[in-house]
Amino acid sequence: MLRSCLLLPLTLCVCVSTTFAEERPPKVAANAAPLFETQVRPIFKTHCFPCHGEEEKQEAKLDLRLARLIAKGGESGPAVVAGKHADSLLWKRITAGEMPPGEKKLSDKERRTIAAWIDAGAKTARPEPETIADDDVTEEERLFWSFQPIRRASAPRVSQLELVHTPIDAFLLARLEQDKLSFSDEADALTLARRASFDLLGLPPTPEEVDEFLADRDPGAFERLIDRLLESPHYGERWTRHWLDIAGYADSDGFGEKDLERKYAYKYRDWLVRAINADRPWDELIREQLAGDELLLSLTSVAGDKRALKGKAPIEYRGLTPQQADMLIATGFLRMGPDGTGDAAVNQDIARNECIAETIKIVSTSLLGLTVGCAQCHSHRYDPISHVDYHRMRAIFEPALDWKEWRNPNARLVSLWTAEQNQLVTKCDLEIKRLEKERADKIEELAANFREKNMEGFSDELKDKIREAYKTPIAKRTNEQKQLLADHPKAAVGVNLIDRNLKDEHKAIMDQFGKLIADQRAIRPADDFAHCLTEVPGNIPPTYLFFRGEFSQPKQEVAPGELAVLCLPSRDRQGADSSTQPSVEPLPDGRGSNGSPRIPVDDPSLPTSGRRLAYAQHLTNGQHPLVARVFVNRIWMHHFGRGLVSTPSDFGRLGEPPTHPELLDWLADEFMRSGWSLKKLHRLLMTSTAYRQSSRRRPELDAVDPDNRLLGRMSIRRLEAETVRDAMLAVSGDLTIRLFGAPIPVTPDETGQIIVGVDTRDTAGRPTGKKVPLNGEEYRRSVYITVRRTMPLAMLETFDAATLAPNCAIRTPSTVAPQSLMLMNNEFASDQSEALADRVAREAGSVPAAQARQAWRLTLAREPSDAQVQSAVAFLTEHAEQFAGQPADKKNPVTPAQRALSSFCQALLISNGFLYVD
Amino acid sequence: MSNAISSRRHFLATQSYSLGSLALAWLLERDGIAAAPAKPTLERPTYDLKPRLPHAEPKARAMISMFMQGGPSHVDLCDPKPELAKYHMQDYSGGDFKFDSVDQASRKLFSGPWKFRPRGDCGMELSDLLPHLGTVADDICLIRSMRTGVNNHGQSILALQSGVVLPGRPSVGSWMTYALGSENDDLPAFMVLRDPASLPVEGVYNWSNGFLPSLFQGTVARPTEPRIANLDPPPHMQGKPQERFLAYLEQINREHLADRPGENDLAARIASYELAAKMQSAAKEAFDISSETKATQEMYGLNRAETKEFGSRCLIARRLIERGVRFVQLFTANQEWDHHSNILTSLPRVCLKIDQPAAALVRDLKERGLLDTTLVHWGGEMGRLPVVQNAAKGSIGRDHNTYGFSHWLAGGGVKGGITYGATDEIGHKAVENVVMHHDYHATLFHLFGLDPQRVTFPRATGIGQLIEAAQARVVREILA
Repeated sequence: MLRSCLLLPLTLCVCVSTTFAEERPPKVAANAAPLFETQVRPIFKTHCFPCHGEEEKQEAKLDLRLARLIAKGGESGPAVVAGKHADSLLWKRITAGEMPPGEKKLSDKERRTIAAWIDAGAKTARPEPETIADDDVTEEERLFWSFQPIRRASAPRVSQLELVHTPIDAFLLARLEQDKLSFSDEADALTLARRASFDLLGLPPTPEEVDEFLADRDPGAFERLIDRLLESPHYGERWTRHWLDIAGYADSDGFGEKDLERKYAYKYRDWLVRAINADRPWDELIREQLAGDELLLSLTSVAGDKRALKGKAPIEYRGLTPQQADMLIATGFLRMGPDGTGDAAVNQDIARNECIAETIKIVSTSLLGLTVGCAQCHSHRYDPISHVDYHRMRAIFEPALDWKEWRNPNARLVSLWTAEQNQLVTKCDLEIKRLEKERADKIEELAANFREKNMEGFSDELKDKIREAYKTPIAKRTNEQKQLLADHPKAAVGVNLIDRNLKDEHKAIMDQFGKLIADQRAIRPADDFAHCLTEVPGNIPPTYLFFRGEFSQPKQEVAPGELAVLCLPSRDRQGADSSTQPSVEPLPDGRGSNGSPRIPVDDPSLPTSGRRLAYAQHLTNGQHPLVARVFVNRIWMHHFGRGLVSTPSDFGRLGEPPTHPELLDWLADEFMRSGWSLKKLHRLLMTSTAYRQSSRRRPELDAVDPDNRLLGRMSIRRLEAETVRDAMLAVSGDLTIRLFGAPIPVTPDETGQIIVGVDTRDTAGRPTGKKVPLNGEEYRRSVYITVRRTMPLAMLETFDAATLAPNCAIRTPSTVAPQSLMLMNNEFASDQSEALADRVAREAGSVPAAQARQAWRLTLAREPSDAQVQSAVAFLTEHAEQFAGQPADKKNPVTPAQRALSSFCQALLISNGFLYVD
Repeated sequence: MSNAISSRRHFLATQSYSLGSLALAWLLERDGIAAAPAKPTLERPTYDLKPRLPHAEPKARAMISMFMQGGPSHVDLCDPKPELAKYHMQDYSGGDFKFDSVDQASRKLFSGPWKFRPRGDCGMELSDLLPHLGTVADDICLIRSMRTGVNNHGQSILALQSGVVLPGRPSVGSWMTYALGSENDDLPAFMVLRDPASLPVEGVYNWSNGFLPSLFQGTVARPTEPRIANLDPPPHMQGKPQERFLAYLEQINREHLADRPGENDLAARIASYELAAKMQSAAKEAFDISSETKATQEMYGLNRAETKEFGSRCLIARRLIERGVRFVQLFTANQEWDHHSNILTSLPRVCLKIDQPAAALVRDLKERGLLDTTLVHWGGEMGRLPVVQNAAKGSIGRDHNTYGFSHWLAGGGVKGGITYGATDEIGHKAVENVVMHHDYHATLFHLFGLDPQRVTFPRATGIGQLIEAAQARVVREILA
């Protein structure tokens, strides 16, 4: 019922929607005869089109894409006899089990549908088109919910108006009330404080923050708490991590076993932290991530015609301002997928094409919420994404990712030195060269003087002879000369031996110049690059459709464009060239005649192709049906534990439909109207009644909705991998608060587990046992730890960190014994427990009851009950007695009471109360 | 049925480990409970790993699956085709081959240089590449008519591992533990022994619990020592202090749960601490193959560099099964059998790695009287084409073939010394007694006494189950 609302006339293109609505198929009654487009074609598309339709050569010359072609049939005659399914060849082949030939047969339901359709006359919903194109989309496919324009509905009426804080509540409550359900009570203040803090910062609230919130008795206290949290720099770290999942962020190239490091990928991570903290609008951020380089060129004033730059030479981005550099860095988004091309040992053609395919997967799953990647080898089996569509999308990125003119990862780095830094580098390099020369001269002079001094008292003739012999290059010396020099070694001392003969003098020169050169090196700016995606101006490679995805089987050329299903209805395209050639004449609304937004083949106003910029502008123009929906759904998922669409990267037929379609649309629209502000979106979601509910299960809810899809309560959520680690560091007090910078190294420990640390293995990969102090770096937030695809940090991997293949749409929290073992016995957990114990002892003194209360406050953000204090004290006392019976550890003198307190702290740190958020 | 119960009781009661006691207690309890009224519908479902009775008398109690990712070349290993030798390197006019590497495709039939000969009393024809398997030919059931019909690795793997070509569904091992619970309480019920070189294709989806509760997901052992990390508490915590610690942890966790009734994840986490505590000693013991006799170790090839790694995992698998683990799955490295090229050198190498250990596993289980109740499985997601693939630089190989390939089963209620099904005359497509992946699943369930229609999980979108194909059939011809 809810879904049908989406089929209302399109609001964005009125002239289209009127006729569109008239032609809308009548609602199909449950027992009405099936129509080809609505019920039968989807079955054929999934099972039959690959051989009977999509490819150039159709098996048995049978094309199942149109009812009239089916009636006409193939080599064996008509496939269908209208009215008589038993007489139809199609039916016979299906029931004989011959078709489809693979493992996957039609289900009984699918067979019944086909039989009913034939028996009812094999009818279509409307006259079929004259021609059929590779990327034809039926009206039915076009009417699928996620391809519809976003339509803002007004909030529905509900009977319990007092529960509606925001329009979100009205949408949710209306649905709950249908089942005679309602929201749960508001969670208590401590629960809310903890929930909000973890949601926005990924860190537990400090006791001071909790106290401040509790002390705020005025209306709007929770809103003020949210505002305070949104001002924290840790907010950006937390939400950057969420986006890094879907962007497939890694500090290494992946692909092969070498898994080369990406030294500058972190700049993208830092850019995100800053952008999110500054609440920069996401339409801008999307444009910069897809086309920051082109945006930069479009904004930069270039003297003369930009076309002049189209000369097949890489652009030298010199002297960029930080804002300009950021635009390049943002395109790191398109450089996150595995890229094996830096390793000469891998097959370059495969690696390059794989890199392009992975990038397309990341773009389509993150921004479109579609599994476009399925159409790489053949048209998507379920969604109307054709093989041609896939290559249209590929064409958008091909000028930057040109597999014929590939640039390997290092060649893609762009120096970020400013003009001054560039000058300084040149100056320093010259000066260093000069100093090195001068040093060499001085040493030579020293040696020459030494030689002369040692010839004192020789005859002039002998001196000349020796000088002559010394000057002669070694290879050309006569035997006589060699003997002469051997007889007078002190007169033959050169620059290489002078240090042994005049040790102090030599050292003085070396030291003097060593210092001068070191001074120069010190002021010379360090290497600084953007890990980014750029195009070489004038390089406009053709994109070919690859037959079955094989790059060795190129077919027709394809122009860049939007997926056909997101263009104007196919009806309007009839008669127009339905091939893949780009349109030249734009329609009044800026679209090409094939309904696609205009994505230029080569934008004359830019040095580069302009394809990505045009595409990015199209995606963020406020009218794209998917981008905002997919984005707000992801944010919803992070706040409520599950998206309104529970498959956040599949808004297609195989994904789950939205539980609350109008709410999803309203949110998407509201998000765009509010300037694509993420912070506003957080406020909107978090100030709702829905968000503030208790998470306690209620029997009446569980009976109807055990998975809590209707949100009659909040869901209990486990902390994510990074949050488990960060929260432990935060409460123990060990957390090093430092934002940004190069990733913190990881290394295998002696057992092969990956831990934070500098890799000190020797060249053969054997552990040397050396430990390099990290000076607190090891206690920084997890978002700053190296993400090496082949070396996932054990602590994070165990708790289901993002798996990057190539990106991670959704994390699935697991509950397995290795997690428990890690929390019980791993050094990190015991170290943090000891640190927490020290903190508790420092803050609460030595009285066990006070210690218990403080530890409880720090870890669980609440006060323990008296009974809980009592059992904690009993535990501390008994435990201390147990330790008192143990022989003292001389190396690490710890009192039994301290041990007991550490153990108590560890119990709290690994308890469900700590690991889960209500 | 009562026979089955008493024999299970007997089995559990005579286990030298105390692990059986929990199962036994449950069985006794279950007998008394059988007539109890149905649970009220509003009661929240809770999930645990207590052993559950199957729907019918089971033959198999546990399973070890050796998953050969990449697609072993059945025509070179276990499905001899004289036609290939006859028409070696001649064009084949028939056959609608589907190629993964289209640019290197050819239609020339290719006969590998390896000889087949009859093995065992049954005379099963096996290649010289698998001499050790030949020594247990009388104990295995070779299926030569496997088929999934989806020509990509990932999809075919998912079809065999989870019934559906899409990722995110529960794996076979998860279904088994969901349906039957565990017969030990100090090791995970479902364990995965991965290859040290790499994770298999489809990674965690191979042992995912999908939409089943997280309690039923596979636990992955580390591929190198220590196989299970973090088994040792710090010295001062060992023994009584840790017991006290865990008792306190459980107390606060139970208080927390009492305030949040019906939260299965919280209960699962409490259970996982209990399991972890027991695993500290049990896992160490279970994974310690040094206590095995030299003869046993050598039978698995632990004394040879080529077989040591895989042999160790096979031996561990036996030890796990002995200790009541329900389902153990071993994986070869990512695409280790995917011989598009260099098949002449690469195929013998991987055969050398797995042949002796796999055969030793069957023999060892049999000698210990465990083979009757343990189903052993060997096979990959595809076989290979009978035609040659001309890879780069003059190297040759074979392309994918999911239309006909071989698996073998042993023990657990399956007949030994038989071959079942056949491919066409060149080994391309399974044509006789075809076994689809859902037939394979239906047969597994049958051997474990499970009715596929009753192993279900309620989902918002309908009932979730492993076998959705209506035509899935139990391959009765291979049942003992």
